[in-house]
Amino acid sequence: MFRLQGSKTLAVDLTGDAVKAKNGSMVAYDGRMTFKKLSGGGEGLRGMVTRRLTGEQMTVMEVSGQGTCYFADRASEINLVALHGDTLHVEASNLLATDAGLRTGTTFTGLRGGASGNGLFTTTVEGTGQAAIMSDGAAVLLRVSPQYPLTVDPGAYIAHQGRLQQHFQAGVNFRTLMGEGSGEAFQIRFEGDGLVYVQPSERNTVGGDV
Amino acid sequence: MSTPVIFDPMTLPSDDNVNSYTFCVELKGSRWFLQKGKMIAYYGQIRFDGIGHGRFDRLVRSSFHSPLHASDWVVAEGSGKMLLADRAFDVNSFDLEDGNLTIRSGNLLAFDPSLALKQSIVPGFVTLIGTGKFVAASNGPVVFMEPPLRVDPQALVGWADCPSPCHHYDHGYMTGVMGGIRSLTGIGGSSGEEHQFEFVGAGTVLLQSSEALMAEQAAGVVPNEPGVPGGGGQHGATPRMPGQLGDLQRRFGL
Repeated sequence: MFRLQGSKTLAVDLTGDAVKAKNGSMVAYDGRMTFKKLSGGGEGLRGMVTRRLTGEQMTVMEVSGQGTCYFADRASEINLVALHGDTLHVEASNLLATDAGLRTGTTFTGLRGGASGNGLFTTTVEGTGQAAIMSDGAAVLLRVSPQYPLTVDPGAYIAHQGRLQQHFQAGVNFRTLMGEGSGEAFQIRFEGDGLVYVQPSERNTVGGDV
Repeated sequence: MSTPVIFDPMTLPSDDNVNSYTFCVELKGSRWFLQKGKMIAYYGQIRFDGIGHGRFDRLVRSSFHSPLHASDWVVAEGSGKMLLADRAFDVNSFDLEDGNLTIRSGNLLAFDPSLALKQSIVPGFVTLIGTGKFVAASNGPVVFMEPPLRVDPQALVGWADCPSPCHHYDHGYMTGVMGGIRSLTGIGGSSGEEHQFEFVGAGTVLLQSSEALMAEQAAGVVPNEPGVPGGGGQHGATPRMPGQLGDLQRRFGL
């Protein structure tokens, strides 16, 4: 069971089962725990090669045992996500922990990834269970429905779940080149049905100053 | 596990905080000024254009009077709800009613065009005049204080209703040759708090509860005219430290 201890520490109660977490993110535990580094994120040889090739690298450890284990990373805010057979797309650097039963993988995101400064690929988490994602400042969870599409700044995007199509919008025109840009030249538009997580802070992106 | 709050355009607040780091502005065919790159997401149809866009000529004439900051600001226009945030700093909205408020230029995120933005005489600060709402960021919650008081330069966010801001130095500790050495080298115990801003007069002073500053953006310099503080090239070479011998030629009136 995942639960939050404050907003910046994740507590996981384990009863003989296992959880996958970002390598080195354990801050404390009570009970008996074993920590095992999973080469390639536990995705097998194929996953390992894919991650190496795509640059969407994540070092993952498997924690198993009896008791409570606490995770935190650089005082980032932690958000719990419950998955019921659907897919969560998240940047590898924002993923803190997942239930051991969830499958993780990599997908191509297209131009959106390039603009958000996180490479062209993103991590997917699918199955049924819980995951914990991190954000710089408390994340805002926004619903996208067919009549209300959402537009997001690539630097503030952290994750999304559900059936969403993303379109990359670039509003670069002659004004941008003359230093009269809007600062919001690159945007991702989400359409369909699902949820988008945004953080109240922007990573340094290619588009940030344009 | 507590279920997280999911927002959609119906449940997002209108012109209010979503959480302490995110602010939601509702646009109904209206316009808002915002600092470049502070929008994180929006619903609806909103356009973002630089201040220099020709269509904003009248708007800029009535409510934006700072050519130095023009390249850092954009106008959002359209209808929908837009979320603003800045580096996970606390954001808050404030209402001005026929008043004035001076704020560090990096801390101001957005404002309603019913306010007029002018550059303050104090370098690095801007003044908002009129009636309307604005959104400001601070590292940690904002504290409101009444003058007379002295504040740490790094904690100052701004001030309203025009108390008089001035520098204050603890000269008792920092004068003489020993004081000069102390303040230059820190040997002998400089506390780092010998210099403060002093506010006297009627008004309110806004402080943030940490000493982390927003990154200053180079915004150019004010015109080099006689009487304009901070204008053009700096006269005189280095500032003189307390305890340092005065320039000899000045002593002799040369």
